[in-house]
Amino acid sequence: MDWILAIPALPTLSFALLLVMSRQVRMRMLWLPVASIFGSLILSIVAFAQVWPGGSEEAIWHAGWEFAELAGKPVDLSVALDPVAAVMLLVVTIVGAAVQVYSLGYMHREEREGWYFAVLSLFTAAMLMLVLSDSLLLTFMMWEMMGLCSYLLIGFWFENEGPRKASQKAFLTTRVGDLGFLIALFAIWGVVGSFSYEEVLHTVGDWPAAVAAVAGFGLLWAAMGKSAQVPLQVWLPDAMAGPTPASALIHAATMVAAGVYVVARMLPVLMVTPWIMQTTLVVGLTTALLGGLLAAVQHDVKKVLAYSTISQLGLMFVALGAANAEVALFHLTTHAFFKSLLFLGAGVIIHAAHTQDMRFMGGLRRHMPITTVTFTIGSLALAAVFPLSGFFSKDEIVATLLHEHHYVSAGVVLLASLVTAFYVARMLFRVFTGPEQTKHLSEGHMSMLAPMSVLAFITLVLGFASPTFANFLGGHGVWPDPFVAAISMTSAGAGLALGWWFYGRRSAVVNTAIWKRRLGYAYDALAQKLYFDAVYDHVFIRPFMLGATLLAVFDMRRLDGFVNLVAATWVRICTISWRVDVTAIDGVVNGVASAAKGTGSWMRGLQNGVIQRYQRLVLGAVIVLVLVVFMVKGV
Amino acid sequence: MLPILSLIVLLPLAGAIAIALLPNDRTTWPRWVAAAVSASVLALATYAMVTFRPAGGLQFVEKFDWVPAANIQYYMGLDGLSVLLVALSALLSLLAVIASWKMDKRPKFYFAMLLVLATGTNGVFSALDFILFYVFWELVLVPMYFLIAVWGGPRREYAAIKFFLYTLLGSVFMLVGILAIYLHPQGGTFDMIALVDRGFPANFQWWVFAAFFLGFAVKVPVWPLHTWLPDAHVEAPTAASVLLAGILLKMGTYGFLRVSLPILPEAWKSWSWFIALLAVISIVYGAAVAFAQTDLKKLVAYSSVSHMGFAMLGIAAGTAVGLDGAQAVNISHGFLSAMLFLCVGIVYERAHTRQIAEISGVAGQMPVYAGMFAFASFASLGLPGLSGFVGEFLALLGSWGSTLSYWYTIAAAIGVLVGAAYMLWMIQRVILGEPSHSIADAPDISVREASTLVPLAVLSLVMGVWWASTLQFFEPYSEALAKVLGG
Repeated sequence: MDWILAIPALPTLSFALLLVMSRQVRMRMLWLPVASIFGSLILSIVAFAQVWPGGSEEAIWHAGWEFAELAGKPVDLSVALDPVAAVMLLVVTIVGAAVQVYSLGYMHREEREGWYFAVLSLFTAAMLMLVLSDSLLLTFMMWEMMGLCSYLLIGFWFENEGPRKASQKAFLTTRVGDLGFLIALFAIWGVVGSFSYEEVLHTVGDWPAAVAAVAGFGLLWAAMGKSAQVPLQVWLPDAMAGPTPASALIHAATMVAAGVYVVARMLPVLMVTPWIMQTTLVVGLTTALLGGLLAAVQHDVKKVLAYSTISQLGLMFVALGAANAEVALFHLTTHAFFKSLLFLGAGVIIHAAHTQDMRFMGGLRRHMPITTVTFTIGSLALAAVFPLSGFFSKDEIVATLLHEHHYVSAGVVLLASLVTAFYVARMLFRVFTGPEQTKHLSEGHMSMLAPMSVLAFITLVLGFASPTFANFLGGHGVWPDPFVAAISMTSAGAGLALGWWFYGRRSAVVNTAIWKRRLGYAYDALAQKLYFDAVYDHVFIRPFMLGATLLAVFDMRRLDGFVNLVAATWVRICTISWRVDVTAIDGVVNGVASAAKGTGSWMRGLQNGVIQRYQRLVLGAVIVLVLVVFMVKGV
Repeated sequence: MLPILSLIVLLPLAGAIAIALLPNDRTTWPRWVAAAVSASVLALATYAMVTFRPAGGLQFVEKFDWVPAANIQYYMGLDGLSVLLVALSALLSLLAVIASWKMDKRPKFYFAMLLVLATGTNGVFSALDFILFYVFWELVLVPMYFLIAVWGGPRREYAAIKFFLYTLLGSVFMLVGILAIYLHPQGGTFDMIALVDRGFPANFQWWVFAAFFLGFAVKVPVWPLHTWLPDAHVEAPTAASVLLAGILLKMGTYGFLRVSLPILPEAWKSWSWFIALLAVISIVYGAAVAFAQTDLKKLVAYSSVSHMGFAMLGIAAGTAVGLDGAQAVNISHGFLSAMLFLCVGIVYERAHTRQIAEISGVAGQMPVYAGMFAFASFASLGLPGLSGFVGEFLALLGSWGSTLSYWYTIAAAIGVLVGAAYMLWMIQRVILGEPSHSIADAPDISVREASTLVPLAVLSLVMGVWWASTLQFFEPYSEALAKVLGG
């Protein structure tokens, strides 16, 4: 079954080919990355069929090659296909294919369109490899490779300040998280002597508690960076500076979900240490709630979706913190489809309305029926409305929490659901209803609407796979409990109703200034992104830049100044001794002496006398030091 | 059987003499001679590398008496520690010639000096007799001195003398160490292999280690002995910078791995925490100071201080993995610092400035060049899949698994983050953005310039994707050395 390697290999190949082409040739070869992703998609479907009906965590296929030998131990880079990987392969290739087809329309006539597709292909390859990876080292390598692609795509329009800064911020913030991954790798290698998932998970019970804690927290921290969890969430909203379809793939469906995926895989490592699981839960809850609140005050439609992604990833962390990986992965899957759908829809909306600011949109439903329908399906799935996929996956999270008696957590999740439904309603009413504020509104191109329709269809039906999904992964799937479902629906309904009351009741453009005033500081804090950026700027970035500048000055003035002082002193000593020494090397002495008078030009003098002084220096030093060594030898 | 090592070492010297005999008015002949000689040396070094058996111990040995009265031998050979360094040295020497193809200021002298330098560096990595080693070690200083002092920037005389005296001062201490070992009753030889793990008294080892430390640490350079490096780099012509960062710095770490650790293992035990401390300071300090630089070349120079700190951390760790890491940093930094300095040189030729504030938007004006520069930057900041990651990762992994405190590893890992910061910020200012006035009409890189960068990029990729390609050479040496240090 080694053909499975072709799934990541096809996009890699298309990247490599596009890379070596000139810009003009690339533009005519755009079918290549699209064809390769469809090839991967077909192979992923076949792979899924091979794994079907799943039901266990065992891998049905393994491959590995010895990558290096370290201290006599072989280091394998290995890949495996198990049910989890099979599902993720489908998610990545379906969303990837949808995004690439969409991009053909969306990125049309961009000067560097070919480069865009090349990076998109490299990203897809890295994500697919990460999904198949059976080695933490390989996972980390792909993890970083995705970080690079994310950097390149966020900064795609690099002539502009915004994307440039956002790309740098994204790379560095996630790198802060990656330090945790590195430390976890070190700790794991120390006790296991291998990076293989299998060996790590089999031996985890025997590890010293401290090692398990370091490794578990390191992995959690890394995932928090990649999945934009509080307090490392700051990069994701800025990442919206990149092309919208790239955001759909990378910053909604796949890369940001990689953190959840890796933690789900490594959950036994985290579970060894209770406080790490509690931390996961608290981080998830905090992020879910704060992300939702922040989404509710954004005006930029992409920023709403970005904060919404942060919030939904928080829900996945909640499921992980409740030790239920299957539920987390199911929400990851449903979210991947409906959130990429929303981003693609946002791209069409932005093209049509010529703005990203929702306050200047409105009335789009009259001119863009397909976009309206598909975007609404995605939005309602996000708000967890029955029978859309988001309802089922979120319901499972609530049910898990109630089952584990995490009642407070369940309450927070329901509150977050209410907030989510509120901002969803706000977005829908702002964009699609009310008076038109843009002239010449028109529906998007078929190449963009078709992928959206496919994703909308998946969002409509995927929820009904809910019990099958858990069974496939080796868990125990059940249909929603009517009681839990009623609570979830109530919170979602309340949020939607609240949103309608603020934004949907009137047909005029809604002005919320009065509400902002009433909220006072609470609104200001949200509008300032809860001051995370400002605090980081003052606590880390500025002190670092100041410190670096001071160190550079220290290096030049003090350290190097000391070196120069030593040299100058030496020149003086030599000059004096030579004056005593006199005539034989008269000319040199004169040259040195006159030069040494001017402190600024002493180095020129040094060069005049260099050969002689060199010999003298060597000879003198050798004699003295050999004597010292003789003394030492005697000891 | 051809004396391959002698050819690798002495052929460049013969080439330099040949260049000296060329007529003065034939200004293009010297570069052709230099290129031909360097290419032959590279071919020989490649042959040596390909036929080298990683598990086979010392190979290509040439040994005969040189000064019998003093027990000095002409003793050369390659093992896993040195074989890739010789190959690297041969490769960078050729690339340096190609990069200097347009050199029109005293070309005879210039290309002769490049070849003499190759003799010195190839010799240092091949010599197994202390006196021979010392001769090559000092020989390296002379051509580098002239390369900086004659073809350098405005402050070339200052920089050249500083480089010369600083490293000379270090090597004088090294000579003292060599003599001390020779004169010790348990020593009595200059044979560097025979001296391994002789069991010198701990006190004696401590002092001799200190002497060697000064010699090697200046060369690496380890904080706070690094201040000659930025000046030398800023003033040096591009090819000299490439060789200085790509090879000369490796002589320092090579010295630790060839001399200090195997011959003085007891002393290493009491010194390792100190080396680790300086290594971590070098990593973080070098990266932070690089961040604050306004001159592109100085930024790259300080990045060398930071990166070589990882090699020193691996050496301080003394575990097989850490020693693998130190050697991997050596090779990888050889590729990447060379690439970075070549890139700086290329943009300097076009923009006539190295001020970061005066160059921007290279990606828009020179996309191929920008791709190469970005590749080198990302490889250098430790992107997995490229060579920089291999060394950094292994040095950190090795230090975590050693007897050193975990805090060294954690602090050094933070250095990885700072390393990413200065590289990304450099990319943001220089490569991205709107093209600046200084590069308004600059052409993209020529085939000749690309031919200096592409081989290094390919090697960096191969090393990063297939770790065993380099680690198979290091592993036997690292394991044997770790055993000496652990025993």
